[in-house]
Amino acid sequence: MKIIRIIVQVILLYLFYFVGDYLQKLLHLPVSGSIVGLLLLFALLLLRVIPLKWIEDGATTILAYLPLFFIPATAGIVNHMDIFSGRGLLLILILIVSSVLTMVAAAHSSHWLSSLNNKRRVGWSGKRLSEKGKEI
Amino acid sequence: MEWQEIKRKGEGNIMFFVATGIVLLNVAIYLMMSAVYKRFRIPVLIPALTATVIIVGILVYFHIPYDTYMIGGQWINKLLGPAVVSLAYPLYKQRNVLVQNLPAILGGTVVGLLIGMSSGLLLAAGLGFSKLYVLSILPKSITTPVAIQISSSLGGDSSLTSVFVMIAGFTGAIGGPWIMKLFRIRSEVGIGIGLGTASHALGTAKALEYGEKSVSMSSVAMTVCAIVGSCIGPLVVWMIYP
Repeated sequence: MKIIRIIVQVILLYLFYFVGDYLQKLLHLPVSGSIVGLLLLFALLLLRVIPLKWIEDGATTILAYLPLFFIPATAGIVNHMDIFSGRGLLLILILIVSSVLTMVAAAHSSHWLSSLNNKRRVGWSGKRLSEKGKEI
Repeated sequence: MEWQEIKRKGEGNIMFFVATGIVLLNVAIYLMMSAVYKRFRIPVLIPALTATVIIVGILVYFHIPYDTYMIGGQWINKLLGPAVVSLAYPLYKQRNVLVQNLPAILGGTVVGLLIGMSSGLLLAAGLGFSKLYVLSILPKSITTPVAIQISSSLGGDSSLTSVFVMIAGFTGAIGGPWIMKLFRIRSEVGIGIGLGTASHALGTAKALEYGEKSVSMSSVAMTVCAIVGSCIGPLVVWMIYP
């Protein structure tokens, strides 16, 4: 029964979340409990303490419906409708400008770092994009 | 006494039906809108946006307070924790991409996040927006389930953050190709990490058009960004509001 396996695995993922939350409160970590849970699960997968099979179906199911889980939180915007008018529109402009800066900074720094890495390894710098990749 | 108890039980039952009804309605609207998205595949039709617009429309039209809606909504909300934990799965599947490109991915996301978070914070605070808005802007480039947690733990508002995250996503998914051209971003590594760091899942969907390497870079960058962003978010806030 696949559905039962999914439910059991989701419960296991919950368990990681609770342990993460507990550790976060216990150690006063600055990151949220769910991120601690994520790192914990990732570490246990890498160390092969937890086989991938134990969480695979649960995780893929949750991630397939991910947007559903944050719709209620997003709907809270109903109490902040003023951001879509007047000065609120300025916020949208800030978001766009700041996102462009983020993308350019991340892209150029990572390209530079990877070309350093490649030079060291094969003596050849960053790869250029093929023409066919551009238009789909 | 007995009557009180019966009444209380009755109210409990009504609450249960209301909650179940809201959850079912939510799921139905989501499934419908994701079918629409699968049919057309246009970024502005992502179910996270369209389903939210429909629900907000219902709340406004029928004058339903958000708190009433959350009687059911909170049950869906509770799955956000395990959803964030689940992100370990794609990260593990792509551990080879991560290990082979560790300096590029880690360096790119850290630089991108520092520039992105501080520019958003400084612009919003500089233009006189209140602290609530400034803190809600901070995690805009991070995937929604993580961003709303960062925001609320720092004193922002999760629903504002969720909308800001969508705007950051659309900037990359719609404006991405122009940004690449204007700023001469040509390598698949740069495109992938740029899109994943600035525009999370929406950027990763756009990366599909640039080849397999861009997609894997983008999706790894997105998850690493969520982890790194959770760590440096409080630091950036502290630098600006010491």
